[in-house]
Amino acid sequence: MPVRILVVEDEPALRDALRQELTASGHAVDVAADGKEGLFAALEYPIDVAVIDLGLPALSGLELIQKLRAAGRTFGVLILTARDRWQDKVEGLSAGADDYLAKPFHLPELQARLAVLLRRSAGWASAVLDCGPVRLDTHAQSVSVAGAAVELTSFEYRLLEHLMLHAGEVVSKTDLTERLYAQDFERDSNVIEVLVARLRRKLDPLEQLQPIETLRGRGYRFALARGGA
Amino acid sequence: MAKSYSVTGRLVLALAVPLLVFFAATVIVLDDDYRRLADDSMRARLEEQLEVLISAVRLEADGRVNLSVGEPDVRGVVASPSRFASIRDAQGIPLWQSRSLVRAGFDLGPVPAEGPGRFSYRLQRNGERLAVYSRGRLLENAPGPAVLLAFSVAEDTAAQRQQRQRFREALIGGFGGLALLLLTALAWGLRRGLEPLRRLEREIAQLEGGARTALSGPWPRELAGVAENLNTLLESERSRIARYRDSLGNLAHGLKTPLAVMRAALASGRESVAAVNEQIDRMTKIIDHQLQRAAGGGAAALGQVPVAVAPLAAELRAALLRVHGAKDLLVELEIEPGSGFAGDGGDLTELLGNLLDNACKWSRSRVRLRAGIEASAPPALRLHLSVEDDGPGIAPADRERVLGRGVRADEGQPGHGLGLAMVRETVALYGGQLEIDRSELGGARLTLRLPGRAIGAT
Repeated sequence: MPVRILVVEDEPALRDALRQELTASGHAVDVAADGKEGLFAALEYPIDVAVIDLGLPALSGLELIQKLRAAGRTFGVLILTARDRWQDKVEGLSAGADDYLAKPFHLPELQARLAVLLRRSAGWASAVLDCGPVRLDTHAQSVSVAGAAVELTSFEYRLLEHLMLHAGEVVSKTDLTERLYAQDFERDSNVIEVLVARLRRKLDPLEQLQPIETLRGRGYRFALARGGA
Repeated sequence: MAKSYSVTGRLVLALAVPLLVFFAATVIVLDDDYRRLADDSMRARLEEQLEVLISAVRLEADGRVNLSVGEPDVRGVVASPSRFASIRDAQGIPLWQSRSLVRAGFDLGPVPAEGPGRFSYRLQRNGERLAVYSRGRLLENAPGPAVLLAFSVAEDTAAQRQQRQRFREALIGGFGGLALLLLTALAWGLRRGLEPLRRLEREIAQLEGGARTALSGPWPRELAGVAENLNTLLESERSRIARYRDSLGNLAHGLKTPLAVMRAALASGRESVAAVNEQIDRMTKIIDHQLQRAAGGGAAALGQVPVAVAPLAAELRAALLRVHGAKDLLVELEIEPGSGFAGDGGDLTELLGNLLDNACKWSRSRVRLRAGIEASAPPALRLHLSVEDDGPGIAPADRERVLGRGVRADEGQPGHGLGLAMVRETVALYGGQLEIDRSELGGARLTLRLPGRAIGAT
């Protein structure tokens, strides 16, 4: 089944170029020319990933993303912005976008970013995940155990986020590898084992919590149930 | 909207009204005191004369009255043309009248009963006002019973009224003059006192007219702050306009070269896509840089609420972790509580965004941002920020070049150079400092000193 991509862009030339490029890559593409149209399409169709321009008429890109997230849509969102300022990037990301691309951009770059977003599964269902004493804030990308902040590297964080989003389920090493790396390089599976060991040490130095279970030959499982301590 | 009266008007009103009320009240009280005093002295005089009259009267056996007019005291009472006296019996029939009274025919009022004297003013038919003192007195009559006689003494009040009029005129004249003098002194003092305000008004008018570029000095304590802030605002506005003009000029000139290259590439027809792409990147870089430069708020210190560093850094951290997702990074924030930047939040975001982005690019796995307020430093250098990484670092020999001194950011080298030149320009706008040295993490450490203010306990 082809991936369904929503493009919300008010500039007709760019919108058509994006549609042609993405259709040529074998994706199903929906286009919208303003924020209201975009919101309608995003809520009506089973979208897998969206490309949203920030400077839209009728409903700004930021408002559109906020409405989508408020409506419970968790697909990946890539924002396009003409203003390459950190302020705009930060605003876009904290409104609920997953990545940004500054105009003018190269189309292969856009394709690569979309591929990464498609690989990422649901991430925006809830801003804060609580599993027992472990709290993970997906906005700030910060983690605490029983109220005490834990400094995690970005890989450790993403691994934990993925495990916690699927708390109670078995997650394979392949899944985790794909979650960490954009490209499908042949990765040493040792890396995941090392990361999991580090996570266990940081989250549970006294080995009382045992938050991550190893299921030999199958993968890992986050053992603490969703919900507060 | 309520009308706002001039400061001079307010002050004159506030001082003149109580002053005039005070003077008017004083005049009224003094005038009233004088009247009472005049009444008392008139009454005392008439009472005394009545006693003289009574003591000089003898009742004859046949009921007639005998007055010893020859005595000097009595003559003093009855001889004056402005003084009137009468002795009447109980039915009001005159038994004796002074010659002046006979001539004028004045009415001295009803016959009083026996007892203490009564003092009153009586208006006569000819308009004259008499002060009258009357008293009924029983006189022993040797053969018969005692007889009640009514003694009255009166004086015309023209002289008294004249005197009072003169007093009143002197009073009003004196106090009026005094009030005038005080008000004049007040107006003069206010003029002198408010002169700096008028000067400020004049200078602002000159600023508007372009005849002046800044307010002069020195100003009195109350105005110094206003004048200083206004000058700061003017200065920052001016440098902002200069920056816009500069940016626009640079933008126009900077874009012409890539356009020329693109036109040449299109004309040659060979490998034009790559060449045009390259020029588009270059133009993008120029536009980004000039926009950032023009948007810089600069050191407008007026009415600025300090920007808290911590929440801004946390948002940037989350954004950077997404952007640098391909690398396993530990980004640590060590921000002292209350660290505040006395400037534009957007500028701080760009500064930290560029520094942290560079650090993430160059680091192997660790990046650290530290922030704190150093209360003993001058206000423009009070906020300390340092961004460290564990990358290759910057060799001492390269530090000047990396900071891009003397190199415009859009002409600088890619990588470290570009973002840092923008950082340097923004830091210079705020009058801050930027240093590069080696971090204990192993890589580069960039330290910023910027205008800072501690944000109250949270």
